[in-house]
Amino acid sequence: MAYIKLDNVSFNYRKDQPVLKNISLEINKGDWVSILGHNGSGKSTLAKLLIYLLKADKGTIEIDGVKLTEKTALDIRKKIGIVFQNPDNQFVGVTVEDDIAFGMENLCFDRAKILQRIETYSKKVNMHQYLKKEPHNLSGGQKQRVAIAGILAMDTDILIFDEATSMLDPASRDQIMDFIKQLKAEGKTIITITHDMKEAIKSNNIIILNKGEVLAQGDTKKILTDKRLLNTSNLELLLPLKLMHRLKQENIHNEELGEILWQLSLNA
Amino acid sequence: MAIKFKRVNYIYQGMDGTPFRALKDINLTIEEKGEFITLIGETGSGKSTLVQHMNALIKPTSGQVEIYGIKIEETKKKSSKIKLNPLRQKIGLVFQFPDYQLFEETVERDIMFGPMNFGISKEEAKKRAKEVIQLVGLETGYLERSPFNLSGGEKKRVSIAGILAMEPDILVLDEPTSGLDPKGRDELLELFLSIHNKLNNTVLIITHDMNTVYQYASRVLVMNDGNLVFDGKPIDLFASPKLSSWNLDKPDLIDLCDKLSERLNITFENYPKDLEKVVARIKAGYHE
Ligand SMILES: Nc1ncnc2c1ncn2[C@@H]1O[C@H](COP(=O)(O)OP(=O)(O)OP(=O)(O)O)[C@@H](O)[C@H]1O
Ligand SMILES: Nc1ncnc2c1ncn2[C@@H]1O[C@H](COP(=O)(O)OP(=O)(O)OP(=O)(O)O)[C@@H](O)[C@H]1O
Ligand SMILES: [Mg+2]
Ligand SMILES: [Mg+2]
Repeated sequence: MAYIKLDNVSFNYRKDQPVLKNISLEINKGDWVSILGHNGSGKSTLAKLLIYLLKADKGTIEIDGVKLTEKTALDIRKKIGIVFQNPDNQFVGVTVEDDIAFGMENLCFDRAKILQRIETYSKKVNMHQYLKKEPHNLSGGQKQRVAIAGILAMDTDILIFDEATSMLDPASRDQIMDFIKQLKAEGKTIITITHDMKEAIKSNNIIILNKGEVLAQGDTKKILTDKRLLNTSNLELLLPLKLMHRLKQENIHNEELGEILWQLSLNA
Repeated sequence: MAIKFKRVNYIYQGMDGTPFRALKDINLTIEEKGEFITLIGETGSGKSTLVQHMNALIKPTSGQVEIYGIKIEETKKKSSKIKLNPLRQKIGLVFQFPDYQLFEETVERDIMFGPMNFGISKEEAKKRAKEVIQLVGLETGYLERSPFNLSGGEKKRVSIAGILAMEPDILVLDEPTSGLDPKGRDELLELFLSIHNKLNNTVLIITHDMNTVYQYASRVLVMNDGNLVFDGKPIDLFASPKLSSWNLDKPDLIDLCDKLSERLNITFENYPKDLEKVVARIKAGYHE
């Protein structure tokens, strides 16, 4: 049974201007799903619907067998950690430390555990020496790392990352990707929203949104090698896969070469 | 020479009273014409702090920044607004976070604000808004929208449009492509390049994308822990053994060529800038 299930969900911010149209999709427990799509395709809106920050106009959302309603929202939220696209919208605390604590306080972790986890996770994202700083005075990438630490520390079953690494340097981005891999290995359910195909290829399932509709949903390899599909929603082939595509056009293809290029794209 | 940094230091005064040295003895010259520069470096290395000096949004704690002959120093803290205004038109700075830049009720008014602030007529500003919104890949319908009720990527595009409408001499963009979809990213980079090519104006882009550095830049600056540690050609940077110690990596095309040489035993005399060269090389090898 699906862990997260959307059935015919629609939403609009302004009357008669639908932003999400009849979205139906299922995400299994333990999946790592990437949501891709052009700017304004509805990815962040979808994420906000999942935590009941926005309420669907039509259709139903079910999480772990429970229908998402005003009544159930509080309990369901405890299962979900979300890193917002704009880290400034995440910050509530006066200091970085308070900020990382905030999510855990909501989950009623005891004080000792909170302190210990602030320690662990701020070190994990290399922000330990900034604990007493004001979150708003950090650099862009530092803000993103603090936001990520706060969510990791909550240890929820479901984690949503909305372009959480968009302002990180290559090494920090790789590091966060490794954490996510680890979380998946621990059985967490993960949704990453991204424009970076290098990140997307690490997930095992992909959903492409296009103008508020699900354009495609399925296995990562199938979707990330489909040039036409990717182009429709302003996406791109990873470079090794682009090469594979070009070589096929030149009538050069054998399985070995194809496999090598696929492997290269996995580690791009 | 349009912008000159002389031994510039910048210290942030933290809330808890501890000072933080974000820029350390920066010496740097940027020409008004002909440069396409990328500024890179790990998160927190001082990139945004550095570019905010370029239009005197912040002033050096010590040392001096000279912009079009105007000297900006800490001691001249009250350097009059009259002086800075024309300077801010000459050097257009797009912020890393679009939310810091957007404030008007509609996208149109937001874009018109800059040009009108610099004495452009309302009609002309309106005309420019209509032009630039399309240049950044949004339909004119967005002009009537509120800049706050947009998606992340849409906000980014509007914030870029606002600066383009000012028609600055030098364009400084702090991570203009983060949050853009891949097609939008390519289109905007091409747009910056075309502005550069048409007027020979200097463009400076902060980015974490090594492909942008490799494909577009004629000069690359690397910041690390407040120091300017590299100022030179992209190709030399990517050959540097220090690359990974600065938290950087290789652009995709160089990485691909390296790995292909390893796996397929084909060699490249020098790194290509175009995938078609790789296609040709493999094709030649395949028919041998
Ligand atoms: N608060 C709002 N009020 C009205 N319309 C909105 C609001 N927020 C977003 N929209 C519109 O809804 C659509 C979907 O926005 P959303 O933020 O979900 O896109 P996205 O896929 O996350 O895009 P991006 O890649 O740019 O972050 C966009 O066209 C946007 O203009
Ligand atoms: N207002 C501020 N008060 C105190 N410290 C600050 C402030 N703004 C930035 N800093 C600190 O100065 C250093 C440089 O920040 P800056 O924003 O210039 O980095 P950056 O290179 O742009 O990083 P990123 O790639 O993450 O955007 C960081 O360590 C940051 O924490
Ligand atoms: Mg979004
Ligand atoms: Mg910055």
